[in-house]
Amino acid sequence: MGYLGMDIEAMSTNDWLGVFFALVSAIGMVAVYFMVFRPANKATFESQRRMALDDEDHINVGEKR
Amino acid sequence: MEATQATPVKYDMEVVRWFTIAAAIYAVVGTLIGVYIASELAFPFMNFDIPYITFGRLRPLHTNAVIFAFGGCVLMATGFYMVQRTGATKLWSNGLAWFTFWGWNLIIVLAVVTLPLGMTEGKEYAELCWPIDIMIAVVWLSFGFNHIMTVAIRKTSHIYVSNWFTMGMIVMITYLHVVNSLAIPVSLTNSYSIFSGVQDAMVQWWWGHNAVGFFLTGGFLGIMYYFVPKQSGRPVFSYRLSVLHFWALTFGYVWLGAHHLQYTALPDWTGSLGAAVSLAMIIPSWGGAMNGMMTLSGAWDKLRTDYILRFLVVALAFYAMSTFEGPVMSIKSVNALSHYTDWTVGHVHSGALGWVAMVSYGAMYHMVKKLWGVEKMYSDNLVNVHFWLATIGTVVYVVAMWVSGIMQGLMWRDYDEYGTLTYTFVESVSAMHPYYAMRMVGGLIFNIGTWIALFNIVMTVRQASALRSSSAVPAKA
Repeated sequence: MGYLGMDIEAMSTNDWLGVFFALVSAIGMVAVYFMVFRPANKATFESQRRMALDDEDHINVGEKR
Repeated sequence: MEATQATPVKYDMEVVRWFTIAAAIYAVVGTLIGVYIASELAFPFMNFDIPYITFGRLRPLHTNAVIFAFGGCVLMATGFYMVQRTGATKLWSNGLAWFTFWGWNLIIVLAVVTLPLGMTEGKEYAELCWPIDIMIAVVWLSFGFNHIMTVAIRKTSHIYVSNWFTMGMIVMITYLHVVNSLAIPVSLTNSYSIFSGVQDAMVQWWWGHNAVGFFLTGGFLGIMYYFVPKQSGRPVFSYRLSVLHFWALTFGYVWLGAHHLQYTALPDWTGSLGAAVSLAMIIPSWGGAMNGMMTLSGAWDKLRTDYILRFLVVALAFYAMSTFEGPVMSIKSVNALSHYTDWTVGHVHSGALGWVAMVSYGAMYHMVKKLWGVEKMYSDNLVNVHFWLATIGTVVYVVAMWVSGIMQGLMWRDYDEYGTLTYTFVESVSAMHPYYAMRMVGGLIFNIGTWIALFNIVMTVRQASALRSSSAVPAKA
């Protein structure tokens, strides 16, 4: 107990909401790590590496200055 | 469907041009005010007993000018620029973008009027009066809605990571600004926060740190992930890492605010949680910084000749440094020394000048050439001069504040053999003088660089206009 002690009886609605969001964030983060580092997804993600460079292929025809 | 080769697209870039020029002007003004208030701290006679120009009134004007005027205009310029180019589409509403431009600039004008008059809510980085807060929410939402709708009408199947960073910033800053600004008005220029005591402090720093986390970090990381590959001509080193970087920052940053309130009335565990998550954030932050730097793999030689790329890479170095320094400062034992000292000011400026301003100028120089259709800037040498002034100015400023801050912390906690304080507070103030003068010089060096950048950008625009006019004459003839 001590510093890490937790009085469940005294938990308010706000406390439970905090616990909920902390768990959702933690689980979400684990899910993102799994998704990103899963070898099967590598090619899908890395296929977008050149996207910023490829926008040179678009020709701006809409402006009058 | 992905856009095919040489796809004709109609962009709305005029509003981007105006935001870019406005940013270059606000950088000059914002840092000039910073230099002036730095000189007031070093040489107090410069307050001249004129209330409107005292440090207390001009300091929020400086922070609002550099963060929201300069930083905001850069974010809006690049946000509208990147979303169109990576989505192969024009803006969802050009008219709404112009509303954003004029609305944002009206807010800046109102800040210039109200803050020197002493009209303030007294909340750091959220000083403006409640009617202006409402205007900020409306104008910010106009930017956000337009950006998100432009993403929705994109012609490409994928949403590039830069746009994710921008949208993350938009959503979080809306939420943070609205909640932190909740207040009960008592007159047109005065209001009281609906939060009180330690809750008010917690909400304030939940906003304060996330203004740094989402506005000055997330938004500018979006800029980094677009402009570093563009300027280096290399694809981003690892797209997977960029996705992880985005989600880790988005999940993590909102927990950090409490580390600003160590050793206060806030429950002890809250500060510990803030510090623990801060330390955890080093991993994605450094992962992102390395991702940006490794994008230059095979193209490092370009740093010898490409001065714009230098801005972007040095920005990444400062980003890495600041995102290590911040978590270290949040640790309670370090915070006991650093808090309330100039070390914090040094840390903020290594991030603001070294990271935000550097990456901004890298993006601005890149965009100016594209937006005005020129091969090179008016003077590449001036870009180089600006780079060195910005780098040296930042280093001089930050070193001065590091020395000053650590000295302050050590003087304030020093006891003699009888258990009494060794130094009076005023002795610590007196000992700071050389470093305050050094900080002023560092800021001045940086400010001179912003003047050079403004001159170079204006001359590039003028040169481009002259070129267009001269090439248009024979065509008409």
